[in-house]
Amino acid sequence: MSFSVRLEQVHKIFGRKGKEIAAVQDLSVEISEREFFTFVGPSGCGKTTTLRMVAGLEAPTSGKIYFGDQEVTELPPQKRDIAMVFQDIALFPYMTVRENIGYPLRIAGIPRPEIDRKVEKVAEILAISDKLPMKPAQLSGGQQQRVAIGRALIKEPKVLLLDEPLSALDARLRVEMRTEILRLHREISATIIYVTHDQVEAMTMSSRLAVMDKGRAVQIDRPKNVFMLPRNQTVATFIGTPAMNIIPGTIVPGGEGLSVRFLGGQFRIDSRHHEKLKGITKAEAGIRPQAFRLVPPTPGKVSGKIFLREPLGLEDEVIVQTPDGTRVKIVSGSGQEFVEGSDVGLDFEPKDLYLFHPESKHTLCFGIDSSSLLGPNP
Amino acid sequence: MKKAGVQHRILMIILMIVLAAVAFPFYWMLLSSFTPRTVLFQPPYKFFRLDLSVENYRDLFFATEFLTYMKNSVIAAIGAILLNVFAATLAGYGLTRFTFWGKKQFAQGTLFSYMFPAMLMAIPLYIILSALQMRNTYTGLILAHMAISLPLNIWIMWQYFQIVPMSLEEAAWVCGAGRLRALREVCLPSAKPGILSVAIFSFALSWNDFTFAFILQTDKNMFTLPIGLATFVEQTAIHWGMVMSSAVLVSLPTFALVFFLQRYLLSGLRVGGS
Repeated sequence: MSFSVRLEQVHKIFGRKGKEIAAVQDLSVEISEREFFTFVGPSGCGKTTTLRMVAGLEAPTSGKIYFGDQEVTELPPQKRDIAMVFQDIALFPYMTVRENIGYPLRIAGIPRPEIDRKVEKVAEILAISDKLPMKPAQLSGGQQQRVAIGRALIKEPKVLLLDEPLSALDARLRVEMRTEILRLHREISATIIYVTHDQVEAMTMSSRLAVMDKGRAVQIDRPKNVFMLPRNQTVATFIGTPAMNIIPGTIVPGGEGLSVRFLGGQFRIDSRHHEKLKGITKAEAGIRPQAFRLVPPTPGKVSGKIFLREPLGLEDEVIVQTPDGTRVKIVSGSGQEFVEGSDVGLDFEPKDLYLFHPESKHTLCFGIDSSSLLGPNP
Repeated sequence: MKKAGVQHRILMIILMIVLAAVAFPFYWMLLSSFTPRTVLFQPPYKFFRLDLSVENYRDLFFATEFLTYMKNSVIAAIGAILLNVFAATLAGYGLTRFTFWGKKQFAQGTLFSYMFPAMLMAIPLYIILSALQMRNTYTGLILAHMAISLPLNIWIMWQYFQIVPMSLEEAAWVCGAGRLRALREVCLPSAKPGILSVAIFSFALSWNDFTFAFILQTDKNMFTLPIGLATFVEQTAIHWGMVMSSAVLVSLPTFALVFFLQRYLLSGLRVGGS
């Protein structure tokens, strides 16, 4: 059995009076049993502070935290049924791998033979059986990380907290450990709360994620929804690589209704969005680099010059500069023969277009319609 | 390669000259301590001699109170080491891991109080310990030695605990360990070089102290080695043989300490440097 974890209007303020910094503001989230839940966001967004509050290493300034039906807000970490893997791995340098993994059981007062048996089992699962007599300093980064995970798993915790566990590893190892953690999640029964600044990790591993920004959870949803229906520009640009292009535009009455004008083109907005756009004259248009297609320059299409082209193997990352000076990043299939400096046309489906409020940056609408391109501005 | 070899050789020669200059007095002390009193002032003075004797040591052990002084010094030193390590470790830990009112002032005051010459504290300490009737006691002497060495020891431990990552302790807490257990099993092993530095410093200070022992211990039975040794220098005669042999015995523990702990001392230096 694992616990659900519930945070109710949690605030955390650091510093003394006068120099207060709100690390986490008004955070409410319910994480269900056995869920793989991720807090993701740029550094300083409050994700690690949130995790530390769940662990009991930090006390919320206000708000409540529940494990299942039990309130744990004031409970010290020793009394919460949790395990945690730290960003800097934090293995005890003077203990062997065996002692490190077995430490939680030793504290629990479990007899030595049983500790040994369990340590050996965990080591086998993590493929570090031959490393048991070594000291952490003798291991590679990936092996150390496995030991840290082993130390967290051995107690069979109800809640497993992972604070950027992969950030200390190199790229190849990171992908490998990602799969490993997912496999472990299927095998163990703990609720996993994961913190990362890497949106790829967040998107590929979690059942649900919270995108954090400036201490607030901007959006809490399934990965697919966060990608497809970002609540605001921060989420839209944070999730997905390369980041979504944001291009200033204007909303103009035209044709039979409203249109958005940007990049020297004008695109009609379907009437179902008109209500939301009432009284708005400016908007920021968002479009993902993958939504663009490079085409030969055609009259009636948005056009520009190739500014920079970076081959990435299967795909190319291309920056196109339009006549008004805007630079747009595009991911296109490689092999397309567009050299730097040449003229090129940009094609995309209006369904891939997002509109954001210019000040609040909230998403106004997305997929403005699949209908026609009205043609370039006169 | 060859150039480096030449440089290395020159460096070794310089080192050997320096070593000879430093080591010769020790050698002379050792040699004199094994030279019979009657031969000591008889020219020619030889750098090597084979007519050694343990006469000086025999006199030292059986004709003087040397063993009493030794016992007193050892008790004072062990007491100073234990109390210093205990107090400095907890204070250093507290300074790094807790925030409390006046913490900054406390830390500054610690270093500031170390800058006072020990002599300046001698009279107030004499008055205080007299009032507490602690003159001619081990407790009084140990407290006096602590008064000089503790500030620096707290400072050392404070620095050491700062380099022990907080996450190590937090990891121990999450594993279920209480604060004291985490301190003992996770923090202290990492701060071991610091603890050894504190122990060595406390020992050296207590072992070599003349001022406080001289002021506080007026009873001959409570003399420590430095005071006791001074009694070998009398108004009419200096018992050089005994001075030399006792000096050898006094420096032995210091030698042993440095010899066996140099690995830790050096690793401590490296931690501080990086």
